[in-house]
Amino acid sequence: MEGKEEDVRVGANKFPERQPIGTSAQTDKDYKEPPPAPFFEPGELSSWSFYRAGIAEFIATFLFLYITVLTVMGVKRAPNMCASVGIQGIAWAFGGMIFALVYCTAGISGGHINPAVTFGLFLARKLSLTRAVFYIVMQCLGAICGAGVVKGFQPNPYQTLGGGANTVAHGYTKGSGLGAEIIGTFVLVYTVFSATDAKRSARDSHVPILAPLPIGFAVFLVHLATIPITGTGINPARSLGAAIIYNKDHAWDDHWIFWVGPFIGAALAALYHQLVIRAIPFKSRS
Amino acid sequence: MSKEVSEEGKTHHGKDYVDPPPAPLLDMGELKSWSFYRALIAEFIATLLFLYVTVATVIGHKKQTGPCDGVGLLGIAWAFGGMIFVLVYCTAGISGGHINPAVTFGLFLARKVSLVRALGYMIAQCLGAICGVGFVKAFMKTPYNTLGGGANTVADGYSKGTALGAEIIGTFVLVYTVFSATDPKRSARDSHIPVLAPLPIGFAVFMVHLATIPITGTGINPARSFGAAVIYNNEKAWDDQWIFWVGPFLGALAAAAYHQYILRASAIKALGSFRSNATN
Repeated sequence: MEGKEEDVRVGANKFPERQPIGTSAQTDKDYKEPPPAPFFEPGELSSWSFYRAGIAEFIATFLFLYITVLTVMGVKRAPNMCASVGIQGIAWAFGGMIFALVYCTAGISGGHINPAVTFGLFLARKLSLTRAVFYIVMQCLGAICGAGVVKGFQPNPYQTLGGGANTVAHGYTKGSGLGAEIIGTFVLVYTVFSATDAKRSARDSHVPILAPLPIGFAVFLVHLATIPITGTGINPARSLGAAIIYNKDHAWDDHWIFWVGPFIGAALAALYHQLVIRAIPFKSRS
Repeated sequence: MSKEVSEEGKTHHGKDYVDPPPAPLLDMGELKSWSFYRALIAEFIATLLFLYVTVATVIGHKKQTGPCDGVGLLGIAWAFGGMIFVLVYCTAGISGGHINPAVTFGLFLARKVSLVRALGYMIAQCLGAICGVGFVKAFMKTPYNTLGGGANTVADGYSKGTALGAEIIGTFVLVYTVFSATDPKRSARDSHIPVLAPLPIGFAVFMVHLATIPITGTGINPARSFGAAVIYNNEKAWDDQWIFWVGPFLGALAAAAYHQYILRASAIKALGSFRSNATN
């Protein structure tokens, strides 16, 4: 246990002793771009805050899957859609839960709850490879446990009603499913980047003003748009958890779409934000 | 973009805010600045994402096979309003987060953007809208073509005049909310801490959609109507297209006039008389 509490907020104050990159270009600004996180940081492994962050991601993803998949099962079990919360209710479950959980977890682990978000932030050098891999593993384990609890509540309906697993719906091609996942994840990860932008924090007078709200809304909106296409993955852990517990051929046949799509979308969002919006690589040379 | 205001010799009359000076009509210097093109790219991407999510939601809803199978009209309204909230939030610091030619037009009339920038934004928004709807068509081609393509048309039972009126008032609500959310006087009252200005803008869009989806499918955004009309390319969509440009632009004009001349009384202030008190 360290002598002082380490601030594990993504990128924030992690390296106070280091000169920020491009510091001469930032002398007139009241914000500092945090330096890129090191690729490997073995020191993290001996810090409790590292494991606390992983546990937080596990619990958050567990609760996320529990609430959302249980909502999906409730809709599927209803005699008709009008007797349930409906597709819109499912979208609210996903978006609202992300809002609540990101709010709770942001100060502990950065509130990713999504391997695609972790991957995007890793590409933007906001966390180390060690931490990124650990988060993704914990998110996947949490998702499996969350879906497992839902199955535990209702084993037979779970298996007969699709288990909340993501598959490409009838009438859509795999290419459409992949495209929808790419754009959907782009919306989410781009919103995450905007919400956590150092420049925005400065413009907001460094007062945090519900950054999780637009992130939750982004998830809700993408679900409204793509539930008819794929049931909306945009979160590989969510798709993996449901697929493992459901364990049917057609869920696994399409499963690659829910990793390739989100990771491509996250990469595009990272590129767009870092290169176009913030132009960080060009600034560091000036 | 922000203009630096020299405050030497300038008396504040007790105000702790400064109204930004009017944007020049033609500011060719903007064309040499990367931030101008970054703003255009941001408007393009934001409008693309806006149209993709919203029109995909519309088509997904219309594709339903039984009652309550889709997200419902309420879900469609949320898609529009929520997406404006998210995108204005993401884009506000880069381009001002217009995502709507009517908003750009209103801000241009209020001298908050130059003509060059206003035209650039509108073109980027229309191109982004076309691409966004193009994605929806690519992903769900058959339902897109058979279910109306998410295009705005005047519904049966309503006249073109009614639709025009609905578009005017709807856009007035939106642009008036934009002006209120970005008012420097409000910023001063909020101690200069922005408190989620995008949220009331998104809610304004959401509520206008609740009211006017049955009438026109709700345009209040010429780029949105234009993008869907181009990709759907149906005669009825084009017949009614003029309503979705004239209405929003008139609504934006009315909102700009109301906010600038009545609420902020800029014309009267210029005369230096008719003040309720010297520090007003």
